[in-house]
Amino acid sequence: MSGKMCSSSNSIIQAQKLVDQLRVEANMERFKISLTAADLVQYCQEHRRSDPLLTGIAASSNPFKDKKTCVLL
Amino acid sequence: MLASASPLIPEMATQEVQLNETLAHLKTESETLKSKLEEERAKLHDVELHQVAEKVEGLGQFVMKTRRTLKGHGNKVLCMDWCKDKRRIVSSSQDGKVIVWDAFTTNKEHAVTMPCTWVMACAYAPSGCAVACGGLDNKCSVYPLSLDKNENLAAKKKSVAMHTNYLSACSFTNSDMQILTSSGDGTCALWDVESGQLLQSFHGHAADVLCLDLAPSETGNTFVSGGCDKKANVWDMRSGQCIQSFETHESDINSVRYYPSGDAFASGSDDATCRLYDLRADREVAIYSKESIIFGVSSVDFSLSGRLLFGGYNDYTINVWDVLKGTRVSILFGHENRVSTLRVSPDGTAFCTGSWDHTLRIWA
Repeated sequence: MSGKMCSSSNSIIQAQKLVDQLRVEANMERFKISLTAADLVQYCQEHRRSDPLLTGIAASSNPFKDKKTCVLL
Repeated sequence: MLASASPLIPEMATQEVQLNETLAHLKTESETLKSKLEEERAKLHDVELHQVAEKVEGLGQFVMKTRRTLKGHGNKVLCMDWCKDKRRIVSSSQDGKVIVWDAFTTNKEHAVTMPCTWVMACAYAPSGCAVACGGLDNKCSVYPLSLDKNENLAAKKKSVAMHTNYLSACSFTNSDMQILTSSGDGTCALWDVESGQLLQSFHGHAADVLCLDLAPSETGNTFVSGGCDKKANVWDMRSGQCIQSFETHESDINSVRYYPSGDAFASGSDDATCRLYDLRADREVAIYSKESIIFGVSSVDFSLSGRLLFGGYNDYTINVWDVLKGTRVSILFGHENRVSTLRVSPDGTAFCTGSWDHTLRIWA
């Protein structure tokens, strides 16, 4: 086979792979954003109280925040 | 005199025509499929995420400051990862050093010098007993961490992954036994740590793969990768198949991170935007950008509830985004050069950034 034929058949292998890949993706079951986005929102809402960076937990319970020093009078 | 430019042998001429016809046919089919995909995705675009989130309360002012600064690297910090114990951190640098820190005290617990510079990837093992790293050496190596400070870590080094170009990212899976890697050679790969055996390889990116993230364990065996081909691909770890692909960024994707529920993922790109992709709607559902932000995003991560998205940028800042409403809630200053890596701690109490200014900072 000449060099030209080799590269043609390589291109075909590549193109076939692309078509196969696109077929897999096209057959996927998809849902409307109104439904899926509602789930994303719900997840945030359900977990917001246990999100320290969101609620800003007190220095006493966050090991990275320095506790205020006590002064003994 | 030879006749024209066509092949001398008649059979070859016919074969070549046939090949070209097949090629043209395949190209048409792929164009048709691509259009069909766009159509299907567009049908589901009935509403925007921020519209669904209209009723959600807005976020107040955030006060986040640098609480610790980790100094010790001699050059740009390229990558970092948290230990599951929520206090230890591993970081890697352009100078070839990998350091394990206690973030509470800022003490260095271990240090290893790699045989290469530009250690672009590092990861903590789930057990906390080992770290993995690699970069320009094209490999991913695992170092067991010893309790004996005098022990030479480099002696116990185990080479696990071998790529044909630089290692850009690595992550242990659910256990210390397997590592997932991404590389400048355009592939991702899953390796058995003990034997160094390649378990699965993932082909599909058309250029360097720069980042990856594993889906939260409840969601099953998938991971997402991002690359210089502007694509984010979702992969089935068992079959090696690319199951979803997203191409909306306008430049390299430097970072990808799953939303905590596993139903979406965020990406950060050199096009100065972060984006959110919904996996069940199979499309981009939000863009986090501002006209004033013109520098690339190197690294992104979510807060525990998924409400906040933190982005480290090449303009030295960290932008904090309201994921649901699409607005910026805060901008953090402190680093004196590019932010190259950013991870929220396992219990969500803080996040850590690494920078080209040689330091790491813990923010809370």
